[in-house]
Amino acid sequence: MQNLIDRTAEINKMLARYGVKFGIYKNNVFKEQLFPFDPLPRIITKEEYIPLEKGLIQRVDALNLFLKDVYTDKQIVKDGVIPEDFVFSSSGYLPECEGMVPPKGIYSHISGIDLVQAKDKSWYILEDNLRIPSGASYPLIARELCRRASPQTYQSNRIIDNRNYHKLLRDTMENVNCGGIPVIMTPGRYNAAYFEHSYLAERSGCVLAMCSDLFVNENVLYYRDYKGEKMRVGVIYRRISDEYLDPMTFNSESLIGVPNIMDVYRAGNVAIVNAPGNGVADDKGIYYFVPKMIRYYLNEEPILKNAPTYLPFYEEDRKYVLDNLEKLVIKDVAEAGGYGVIFGRDLTKEQLENMKQLLIRESRRFIAQEVIDFLDLDIMEGNERVPRKADLRAFVLSGETTKVWASGLTRFSRQADSFVVNSSQGGGFKDTWVLSQ
Amino acid sequence: MGIISVDKANNLFWLGRYTERVFTTLRKFFRVYDHMLDDSDQDNGNSILNYREYCGRLAIPDIYLNEQDFVTRYLFDRDNPDSLVSNMERAYDDAIVLRDEVSSHVLGYIQLALDTFDGAKNANMPIFALQPVIDDLFAFWGCVDDYVENEECRNIIKTGKYLERLDLYLRLDYRMQDIEKEYSKMLNRLNKTKLHINMEKLEELTAIINKKTELTENYREALNCLGEIVEVI
Repeated sequence: MQNLIDRTAEINKMLARYGVKFGIYKNNVFKEQLFPFDPLPRIITKEEYIPLEKGLIQRVDALNLFLKDVYTDKQIVKDGVIPEDFVFSSSGYLPECEGMVPPKGIYSHISGIDLVQAKDKSWYILEDNLRIPSGASYPLIARELCRRASPQTYQSNRIIDNRNYHKLLRDTMENVNCGGIPVIMTPGRYNAAYFEHSYLAERSGCVLAMCSDLFVNENVLYYRDYKGEKMRVGVIYRRISDEYLDPMTFNSESLIGVPNIMDVYRAGNVAIVNAPGNGVADDKGIYYFVPKMIRYYLNEEPILKNAPTYLPFYEEDRKYVLDNLEKLVIKDVAEAGGYGVIFGRDLTKEQLENMKQLLIRESRRFIAQEVIDFLDLDIMEGNERVPRKADLRAFVLSGETTKVWASGLTRFSRQADSFVVNSSQGGGFKDTWVLSQ
Repeated sequence: MGIISVDKANNLFWLGRYTERVFTTLRKFFRVYDHMLDDSDQDNGNSILNYREYCGRLAIPDIYLNEQDFVTRYLFDRDNPDSLVSNMERAYDDAIVLRDEVSSHVLGYIQLALDTFDGAKNANMPIFALQPVIDDLFAFWGCVDDYVENEECRNIIKTGKYLERLDLYLRLDYRMQDIEKEYSKMLNRLNKTKLHINMEKLEELTAIINKKTELTENYREALNCLGEIVEVI
């Protein structure tokens, strides 16, 4: 391992050379920033990985069943397992998707599940990302470079090779291909995750397309080339939000969508990865109900635990939250990327009081969670190892079967006292090793 | 996948042009700079004697206060749209959206060349420190041949490259035999693409080149034709 650590500067230099960056807007100016890489990997032993893998598959299978149910029969609501309020008032619920069942009934093809590990080594789910979770490309390219930088490290440790993500992605896309070329659709280079879009296209052999390259004719989606010829598109891994996907169906002012693509989707002529409308299942409010979904759809006990969560919407929970606000973390269900997260302990007396009033007034808007004393991971700061908060984004791909990518993106906070690990807020990343023995 | 969108064709073409612009003008700059050291108007075989003439030939505004200002701002000023670093940035802008077509390896050399400009700006010997840009661009072209699988992509990039080279050779008063050679390379690549060609302008240019006389006086006529040969993009 020391050998790998000694090569940190060279590895980061190579990551810069290959343009491993993310985009960020500061004061309305776009900047590309390097994503700092730490050589000390998160190590998951085989014994730890087996239940983690099973738990992730279980969770994503249940979430896919929930999505199908919500947009068709709504049985889970009829049976009173999840209150109607939490489903149909969610900003992620799209009435336009009512009755639509995507090819092979798969809604969330690529799920990014965020977890933390507690000091007793048990895993807690922090949130589910079923829309367009990003981050797989970073450990994918980092592993490639680390193996080159320190081959002996990989010779002397039994690490499952993670350099198959692009193949898993392509297989997942081909599983639902409706007949045509596979396309990764990007809003363009000024998107925060543009590196990932282009790198996954390069590695998977999919066509990287901008919306202007695509058009609909007679309920078929086509890619237009510079000679004026057109090719049918059978599956599209879109990396833009639902609201911008089709100006004829959603936000009419969207300039980055493809007009009428939803008609093609509705006609079963193209698969959209992930399906539009998935936001209803990764809403922070719905998160509370995922263990119930697992019991309801799969008749199994959840293998992975949610962080202890309270919904101020329920009177009993609200009372607890108001009485214990200073030790809880409050999350705005409409926010993402580490924004809208408020730690009660950081609030002044007046701010606590204001927060309580807000929770009473807008009880559906927030969830409250116990602050988990999660396991810190060491990072290198100069020549020193220092502990930092870190999470794990695991990637689950739902194709012919549901598979977990034996790796993941470990993000860490670079500030000693911070719990926020997001790249947009200064965090770095590590590789995630899953040991085969 | 072997399919190239209009935007990508545009980026490929301009990637070829901007990389070539940096490559050829930097090499020419080294010679002009060398001549400026002598502080004399004597002709030492270099037909362009000073930076003012150099700017005039390239049709870029002479905004520079003196030779030193020219050296600094023409090479390194990102706010100067005609500087070499700005042209290198444009090459990067085209390359970054082509990763899936040209590969990360090819893209890496553009990044290295751009980083070299940043490093050289504050170096003790900035001109000397720019030599790796030439090396990176040589490597870039080698890598294009090796890693860009789609032949059509390679042909579009190289059409851009040779068209730009021909443009610069015309402006910078290169010998007729060099111009003929680059014209022939450009034509060879252009004919292998499906880019829209303005045949009338191409024939005019061909006629000028075929006269085989030095173009010192009428190079602008040739440049005008060249600028209109590839349509749409």
